[in-house]
Formats: sequence, C-alpha cells, structure tokens
Amino acid sequence: MSERTNERGAFANAGSEPPGEDRTREPAKAADTPPRAGTPSRGRVLAPALARVTPGRRGWIAVAALLAVACYLPFQLVPFRVFQFTMVMVYAVALLGLNLLVGHAGQISLGHGAFFAVGAYTTAIMLDRWDLPHLATLPIAAAVAFALGLAFGLPAVRLRGLYLALVTLAIAIFLVPLLKRFESVTGGSMGLTLAKPAPPAWTGLAEDQWLYFLTLAVAVLAFLLAYGLLRSRVGRALHAVRDNEAAAEVMGVRLPFYKTLAFAWSAMFAGAAGCAYTWVIGFVSPDSFVVTLSITMLAGIVIGGLGSFSGPLLGGLFVMFVPSISQDVNDAAPGVIFGLLIIVVMYVAPTGLAGLAGRVTRSTKNILRKE
Amino acid sequence: MSAEGFLTISDLNAGYGDARVLHGVNLSVGRGEICAILGPNGAGKTTLMRALSGMVWVRGSIGFDGADLARRSPDTIARRGVAHVPEGRGTFMPLTVEENLRLGAFTRRGRGTVEADLERIYTYFPVLKTRLRQVAGSLSGGEQQMLAIGRALMSRPRLLLLDEPSLGLAPLVTRELFRIVRTVNEQERTTVVVVEQNAHLALGIAQQAHVLESGRIVLSGTADRILQDEKVVQSYLGYRV
Repeated sequence: MSERTNERGAFANAGSEPPGEDRTREPAKAADTPPRAGTPSRGRVLAPALARVTPGRRGWIAVAALLAVACYLPFQLVPFRVFQFTMVMVYAVALLGLNLLVGHAGQISLGHGAFFAVGAYTTAIMLDRWDLPHLATLPIAAAVAFALGLAFGLPAVRLRGLYLALVTLAIAIFLVPLLKRFESVTGGSMGLTLAKPAPPAWTGLAEDQWLYFLTLAVAVLAFLLAYGLLRSRVGRALHAVRDNEAAAEVMGVRLPFYKTLAFAWSAMFAGAAGCAYTWVIGFVSPDSFVVTLSITMLAGIVIGGLGSFSGPLLGGLFVMFVPSISQDVNDAAPGVIFGLLIIVVMYVAPTGLAGLAGRVTRSTKNILRKE
Repeated sequence: MSAEGFLTISDLNAGYGDARVLHGVNLSVGRGEICAILGPNGAGKTTLMRALSGMVWVRGSIGFDGADLARRSPDTIARRGVAHVPEGRGTFMPLTVEENLRLGAFTRRGRGTVEADLERIYTYFPVLKTRLRQVAGSLSGGEQQMLAIGRALMSRPRLLLLDEPSLGLAPLVTRELFRIVRTVNEQERTTVVVVEQNAHLALGIAQQAHVLESGRIVLSGTADRILQDEKVVQSYLGYRV
C-alpha cells in the first residue's frame, strides 16, 4: 500500500472509532479471499467478525487503562504537576470541540479561544454576581457558548477557507477589548478573582486533587458526548460535509444546518472547558484570552491529530508541556521551541501525533508478526 | 417520447454564475424507463444532471412526479427521491465502505430498513460486502463506482441520475456496471437517467435517448433508432458503429 493511502487510512481510522484500532488492514485480509457467491468461505465469515469485535474492544481497553492511570496520577505527583495535568484536560476539552469543527466537519476557526473565554467569563460572572454553586455554572457556560457558536456559525454557511478563517479570527480579535469595556460586570482589565471549588470533607482530597478530579469528570463527560455524537447519523453527516460537500448535499445533508451546528457544538465544548478553566485558576482577565490562544489551540489540534479521539489529548499535552519544559531550557526559548516543534511535527507526522502513534503501532505489529 | 412524463423537463436553462450552459432543454422520461443522454464533451450533459439535483442555477421547470424540482435545494430534491451519482463518483474517500453506504440512507430514518437495504445492495454488488471496513479511497475505480451507485440506491430513489459511470474504468468493468444498472431498473422499477460517453453501452440498456450539443437537444428518439442512424452516430458520437 502506498504511503499516501496508508496515511489516509490512519486519518480515517482515527476518525470515528475508539483509538488504537487498525481499519486499513482488516479489510485487506478479507479482500484476500475472493467472494464466492453462495458458499461462505471461512475467510469471509471470520475476517469481518474479527474486524468488528477486536479493534473496538482494544480501543475500550486502552481507554480504561488511560482512565486508571488518570485516577492514579494525582496521588503520585506534586501539586504543581497535578495542576499541569488538570490544565491538560481543560485544553483537551477545548480541543475536542475544535476537533469536531476542524477535524470532523472540515471547517476552520481561528476564534476558538473566544468561546473558551466566553465559557470562562460566564462562569466567573455567575460565581461573582450570584454566587452560584460551581457545578451549576457548567451547563450554563456551555449553553451560552453554544448559543454564541450558533450565531457565529452563520457566516460559515456562506464562507469557506481563507474567508472563514478571517471572520473567525475577527471574533477572537474583538473579544478582548470588549471584555475590558464592561468593567462593572467583567472587572475590566483587572479581571475577576473567584473562590475555587472546595473539596468536600468526605473525599479527603487536597484542593489541587479535587480540581483535578472535577476536570477529569468534565473531560470524560465531554469525550463521551463527542463519541456519541460522532457515531450517530449526525457524525456521518459531518464527515460527508468534510469530505465532499457536493456529494453530501445530493445525499440530502442540509449543509447550512450541519455547518452551523458544528460551530455551535465546538463552541459548547470550548465553553465547558472555559468553565473548568475558571474553576481551576480562580481568576479571569482579558489578557488570558488574547488572539494567540486561538492560534495555539488550532496548532494544538493539528499537532495532536485532526479527526482522531486521541488528538485533543495529545494536543493538550503538547500545548501545556512544551512551553513549560522549554522554559527550563532558557527563558527566551518557549516561543522558539514551540514554533520549531510545530514545524518538525508537521514535517514528520502530517497527520499529527495521533497519526504518528497509529503508524508506529502498525509497524511494530508488522515487525512482531514477521518474527 | 413517452406519453406519461414521470420526469418532464421543459424550457430548462441552467448554468454557473454568468455562464449559461443549457438553452431551453425539453425532455420527458417515463416511469421505470432508462433514458440516455449523449453528446460530445462540453455539451452540457453534466450540467443537465446538476440542474436536476439542484446544484446549479436553473430557469424553467422540472416536473417530477407531480412536483416542480426547479430552484429547490439539493437536499430537498434528495428527499423527494432523486439520487445523483456525480461524475467522478463522489465517494467519501476517508470513510469506510459501510459508512459511505449508510450515508446513502441519510434521508431516511429507521434502523431495520437500513439494514435490509444494505443486504439488498450486497446482492447487487457482492464485492462491497467483502470490503465493508475498508476505506473507500483504497478501492479500485470500478469498486468505487459500484459503491457510489450502491450508496445512491440506499436512499431508495425513484429517479437515479448516473453521470458518466464508465469514466476511467476498464471496458469489462463498465459492461458489468451497466448490466447491474439494468437489473436494478428491472427489479425496482427505478427510473434512470444516464449520461454517457460510451454511447453504444448506454444505448444498449436505454429505451430513450437524447443527443445534447452546445446546451441544446439536437436529437431525441428511441435508443434503437438513434443507434441505427449512422449519420448521428458519426457526427455526434464521434465514431463508427
């Protein structure tokens, strides 16, 4: 199989099923046995059965293992590291939304950070003004971001490519000055300082651990929701829009509807992530949501792997740890190393880290099989 | 021309932006018929198909089973039972064969009927069943065309539009495809409009044929008559029979 097909396979493979499965090879196995009408050969019965059960189960085992590690982690690390992993999950949820839009629906957004900020500020204002319980702010922040995403998704119906990129960038650009304006509500450029959710006594957890588990719950919820969404008829419609708009249309997929909805969902995840951000940091200010945040997010999901489930997580790790690790090298280094690494990753793994991981797994399996 | 027009196109103009491609096309297709659209490159054959499924601007009327499809959106037309297999197949390359097929049934809900339809498609195209989990991009050209037609049939269309199904395929594969189209037409009474460069093959399965040139219909008649008209074959279809 050519390199190109292989990569496309990896891309699609990561697309709509749990991570860690290989879709390109199973059918090749099935293809080896020519179909004979009437007489079901062994290959014909076995190969599809294998293809159906094993990879899915393998994916779920990987997810379970990941969750086990995630639950174990905060008891082994120092609070600062726990905080960092909490932020990885916050970013992962935001990237999950961006992935839905860019990786699955094939649109582009340079304004994702704005919806993240909307979620964060909605939460902050609710906590600041009305003193709502923390958990109650999550659905409201998500809903507000969803509504705004719906409104800003409308341009996507008419625009595409560069033009859409520009319009979404404008959203990110006008947001920060806007936040500085309404000082009585937003706290202006000083921002708002808020109480973090306190761990209930029965848990026996420290604050950083409690925040970690709250965020973990949000992340698990978000991933389950996205998984369900993409496995449904709606997910298929989004993929159709991404891969061939004209063909999707003649098959009865209403383009304006699904494009707008993709924006709204992606904003909803960003809003939920923003909400968790406010819980964790306990402080919002316009300077936390500058335009580069949106760009960093786009870079994060492209590097993590568009259209894959592990992509947002890998992207979150990248966005969180690369700047902080390179800071240890040299104070001036983060920007340079971050930028260079983006170039290197794109060069080595055009389908992102998730695609790279898939390729490494495949070739390892091939080597093992030969021996 | 058939008396009962299941699909009746009258005075149809269509094009892209400022460019008008079709100039007052009239034609009518009876229920359950196969109609071939022939003509040289650039005659407007593909534009006619796109006009029927709402993908280009249209003036005139497209009567389809009592409704007018002109100026309707592509998804509305799809919901009305028109399935378009576009030129170049339009399969979703990164998606699997099964996902492609399921997308074909997008306009319909209800799990049970979709499963039954999948089985129905496999009887026409057994090769697809052996490729279910494979991404469409890794199929051969012929298999992709089969997938595209199978996907269109998943919507249980009343009108099937085939745009150059033979494009880039080996003669043997093309013949097989046309045989299957014939079978589908006979078994499901699906009306078919097929645009084709390979006039001989198309006329072999069609009852009616129309020759399109420079956006106008220059000749209409039964497939047999057009096939026998040597002058037509030479001047419009570009080769001797």
